[in-house]
Amino acid sequence: MGTLIIVLTYIAYVCIVAVYTFKVVGWLRLPPHIRWDLYPVIHEENYRYGGSYYEQQEWWTKPRPKNRWRSILYSLKDNFYMGEYYKRNPLYWLFLLPWHLGFIFIITFHILCFFAAVSMVAGLEISAASASSAGKSFYYILLATGGFAFLTGTFGSIGMIFIRLADRSLRMYSMPMNFFNYFFFLIVYGSGLFAWLALDPTLVEYRAYWLGLITLSPPVLHPMTVLHIILFDIFLIYLPFTRSTHYITRILAYFYIRWDDEPNQRGSKMEKQLNDLLGQKVSWEGSHIAKGKSWVEVATEPGFPDTKKDSK
Amino acid sequence: MNKIIHIEDFSRSGGQLAQIDPAELMPLPPPYDKIEKPPIRQLTDEQRKRMDASLDGVVAIGLTPPANPEEEKAFIDKFIAGLEKLFTIENNWTFLQPLVHTLDYCVKCQICSDACPTYLASGRQEIYRPTMRAEILRRIISKYIKKENSLVRKFKASDIDLNWQTLARLAELAYRCTLCRRCAQVCLLGCDNALISREIRKIFSQQMGIAPKEIHEKGSVQQLKVGSSTGMTPMALKNIIEFIEEEIEEKTGRKIKIPVDKKGADMLLIHNAGEFMAWPENLEAFAILLDAAGVDWTLSTEIAGYDSVNYGVWYDDFQFSRVAIRQSQAAKSLGVRKISFGECGHAHKAGIVVADRVLTGDLNIPRESILPLLEDIVLSGRIKLDPSRNAFPVTLHDPCNMVRLMGIVAPQRRILKKICPQFREMTPHGVENYCCGGGSGFAITQSTNFPDWRSAVSGRMKFKQILDAFQDVPGPEIKKYLCAPCSNCKGQFRDMFEYYGVWEKSGILYGGLVELIVNAMVDLKKPFIQWEWH
Repeated sequence: MGTLIIVLTYIAYVCIVAVYTFKVVGWLRLPPHIRWDLYPVIHEENYRYGGSYYEQQEWWTKPRPKNRWRSILYSLKDNFYMGEYYKRNPLYWLFLLPWHLGFIFIITFHILCFFAAVSMVAGLEISAASASSAGKSFYYILLATGGFAFLTGTFGSIGMIFIRLADRSLRMYSMPMNFFNYFFFLIVYGSGLFAWLALDPTLVEYRAYWLGLITLSPPVLHPMTVLHIILFDIFLIYLPFTRSTHYITRILAYFYIRWDDEPNQRGSKMEKQLNDLLGQKVSWEGSHIAKGKSWVEVATEPGFPDTKKDSK
Repeated sequence: MNKIIHIEDFSRSGGQLAQIDPAELMPLPPPYDKIEKPPIRQLTDEQRKRMDASLDGVVAIGLTPPANPEEEKAFIDKFIAGLEKLFTIENNWTFLQPLVHTLDYCVKCQICSDACPTYLASGRQEIYRPTMRAEILRRIISKYIKKENSLVRKFKASDIDLNWQTLARLAELAYRCTLCRRCAQVCLLGCDNALISREIRKIFSQQMGIAPKEIHEKGSVQQLKVGSSTGMTPMALKNIIEFIEEEIEEKTGRKIKIPVDKKGADMLLIHNAGEFMAWPENLEAFAILLDAAGVDWTLSTEIAGYDSVNYGVWYDDFQFSRVAIRQSQAAKSLGVRKISFGECGHAHKAGIVVADRVLTGDLNIPRESILPLLEDIVLSGRIKLDPSRNAFPVTLHDPCNMVRLMGIVAPQRRILKKICPQFREMTPHGVENYCCGGGSGFAITQSTNFPDWRSAVSGRMKFKQILDAFQDVPGPEIKKYLCAPCSNCKGQFRDMFEYYGVWEKSGILYGGLVELIVNAMVDLKKPFIQWEWH
């Protein structure tokens, strides 16, 4: 069993990293698009009221300072706060936020477990009774992170089932997949919560599990912990096939769509990219679009249509 | 309570999907709180036979039903072929990334619904929910493009029966969204359901040649053919300019020669041609102000060079690009240093922002809004202004395209604060404003009962905002000014105010920003603003 969870865990991590990477790279490789900015643009100087550089006369002669750090913090902040939900549907927010925090903290917990295991290999004792303050701190941080993840994840999963059924507008647009996810995630978090509260209150088994992972020595664990770890590995494999990539793509959408206010300048790299795209042949069939011509050729023709001939 | 409508209902033939019930519409303050007439005219039987109105009894496009099953099949096949093209780089690089992102990552949390003024004002009609169009499209994609098997479709609730009726309703539904993008603004995942409306419009236009007549045939096509979407030819333009010069002389005693086709001028100013036809006082005010401020500017008589509108931005990438290119060519042939867009919101967004990645090389001429220049003229003291001349209540409408979609928020406010002592804001305002209800081509769509719909439903939230802004002076005895620095928005206000009898009941006049500036000019003997409803 110990070997199984080691192999499965490695497969799960390779899978989640590979699929997320594939999805994110696929997103980023989509071609540049027409500008479609939406204000406020957070890196702008006047972001507080939504002002842009277009408020200046001859804006192209002026500097356009961008505060990237502000944008990064703003976009990350919402992973932990979700203010728009709080403002518009507080009951939904009450369940949605813990549900999301469950994800964030369970991943964080496992990352911390990895570092804990590395430290243990280096000789650090991680426990409440550790002689080292670092070992003691590590112990309590792990306990807090893991416990918080199990609690919020369990509460959030139950709450999401409830709110998706209770709120008419959410229910109408819900799909069986949503409920499958909530139930599955409930089992993952719930099994972790049970294992922690009933069997492993110091989370020592997780440290043993991660130590086994990095030293490739199968650990001996309680069957309930093993069950939770197997479920968690399946969760990691399944996660990238859900919409969960939005943890990353929502930030990309902010930077590459909503806040993309970079003007196209003559002779720029972007202009070259655009010229390549404009040179591609299009195949739209509307009568005002000439057949077999490139984008730029169509755009530079008047294209007067005879709308009566169209398939109206 | 409005009827619950499911996506499956879109495919059911016969009958009207949603009824606009006056009693369900968002209440308005007195004296507009009494329901005196049905808000939307009923179509005649003849109209119903000719045009599909099975969505909500309203017609923006009015598709004619197919004569036989073969025609229906051809129609559906053509749509599917267009939908496929939407996901190819060569055909749709323009919006591929935001489109794919929204389709893939919207979690249907419905946060956007409460941001949509049309949905709210309609009394939360299910069909107007911002996620509805996207969900229909997503299901069509699942079944006909990705060809996901039936089990997967059940798991993802993405099944749909696609027939002519579904598509006819979807086409109409794409024209029930003003593209104000308030929904996108509140989305924490960066999704944009308004863009989905635009992309649906795009398939119908670019693939099937279907779009409201006012926007395509009489709009962008006419603009490219004769020079302006209004049908105004360069010759007619010259006549109107002469008329405007005479009007200026009559009103102010000033003999101003409006510069036309002036080679090497510093700035080409492009107005929405609607101003020439419906609100010449806006052009007069610009001419007076720019002349007084000593600005080196010109108008153009080239095709599209004298009409800033670009309706393509609402429905068709090629029509959009054609107009943008023509406008730049007009500027290039005059040898101006920059193009400046007059008081028109969508022209601002289209010409300055969206066109940015279509205009390359020497067509990429610097383009800007006229508002910062107006602000400079007002705040620099170059012209003597007397705010007491504007001693009447004024509120400001923020055109979505100019404000939420390109971040020009403060200049117009600094001007109004300087010259209008009774200026007051609407709530909310700035980038959180509500659309006038005429966005994305609605203001020019005059088909059958569509104007009733945009007055009663899509413009309702804005109308309430305006009334609330003037709630301390509600009666018609005190004249009030709604400043709308956008020609399309003014068109919507003209029709909506007529619909509700606002001039008679509340004494609210709408107009541009520059008229208020000129009205405050100390040098003018008589007030420039004439308090006459038109």
